[in-house]
Amino acid sequence: MSTCPECGSDVALHDDLEVGEIVDCDTCGTELEVVDTAPAVLDRAPELSEDWGE
Amino acid sequence: MRVGILYSRIRKDEKLLLGELRERGHDVEKIDVRKHGFGLDDTDAAVADCDLVVDRCLATSRSKYATEFCRHYDVPVVNSPDTAAVCADKVRTSLALDDAGLPTPDTTVAFTTESALEAVESYGYPCVLKPVVGSWGRLMAKLDSRNAAEAVLEHKATLGHYEHKVFYIQDFVEKPGRDIRVLATDGEPVAAMTRSGDHWLTNAAKGAQTDSFEVDDGVAELVETASNAVGGGLLGVDLMETGDGYTVHEVNHTVEFKALNDASDVDVPAAVVDWLEDRAAAEVEVTP
Repeated sequence: MSTCPECGSDVALHDDLEVGEIVDCDTCGTELEVVDTAPAVLDRAPELSEDWGE
Repeated sequence: MRVGILYSRIRKDEKLLLGELRERGHDVEKIDVRKHGFGLDDTDAAVADCDLVVDRCLATSRSKYATEFCRHYDVPVVNSPDTAAVCADKVRTSLALDDAGLPTPDTTVAFTTESALEAVESYGYPCVLKPVVGSWGRLMAKLDSRNAAEAVLEHKATLGHYEHKVFYIQDFVEKPGRDIRVLATDGEPVAAMTRSGDHWLTNAAKGAQTDSFEVDDGVAELVETASNAVGGGLLGVDLMETGDGYTVHEVNHTVEFKALNDASDVDVPAAVVDWLEDRAAAEVEVTP
């Protein structure tokens, strides 16, 4: 469990969390980036950039 | 082996890859390229001790330069910066595919709205206008009329980054509601799927339905040639059926495979790690 930096709500997290992974806040819908896992810390994810993709 | 993973976002694809690498006991170094600097002599990114670095950067610009620096430091990296440079640029991809004699959609590049409109009119309607850099089907325009063409060209010229003033115009291919994605390692198909939908864009990222696809000898040959044309590596080769054959329209160098892993019976991350192990072993052989 961690806290959404946007709305302050609790965010439930799965066990195999990876730094760099994106999770959604179920309360406000903000995309959040996992910046640490021990303990879990979330930050607002970067906005989509034009050169992102595969 | 010690494997460096260049990334800026861990997608499901990277999680699958990390899981497979760790399960096999490999030492994994995650390298968030946003947190490092790459100098002419050295970097604070932990690439030097890696047997192999795997480029999984989400941003094409980072992918192109980070892999260049790895090569500069004599660190083995896949895919190569040469492959990244070709695949990241639709113009260079079209030229490479055509140079290799592959069937690929007829394409014209123009540098002004006037010459672009002339090219559009020469193709007739519909035709397609694509950004030279981009993915997931974003900013693709199917032009159904001259009015639409004039509007889109003016918007690109006025609002766009300078790259949007390189107008990449392509003949519209009447595909049968689907295209084909083949994931290949150095030209050898690993798994394939069709991507189907009612929309003219059938990218998995656009929500297309995915189903497994059996690669026949003809497709395998096209995939191998396309892979060689762009410099090889771990690639996603996209083809469309034209009625009497195929046309190769795209090659992706930081290929996503989560949808393919679900659609096919192949354990894609396992096959990718098999290939990475082979590549790392080959690097050891050439640099004892």
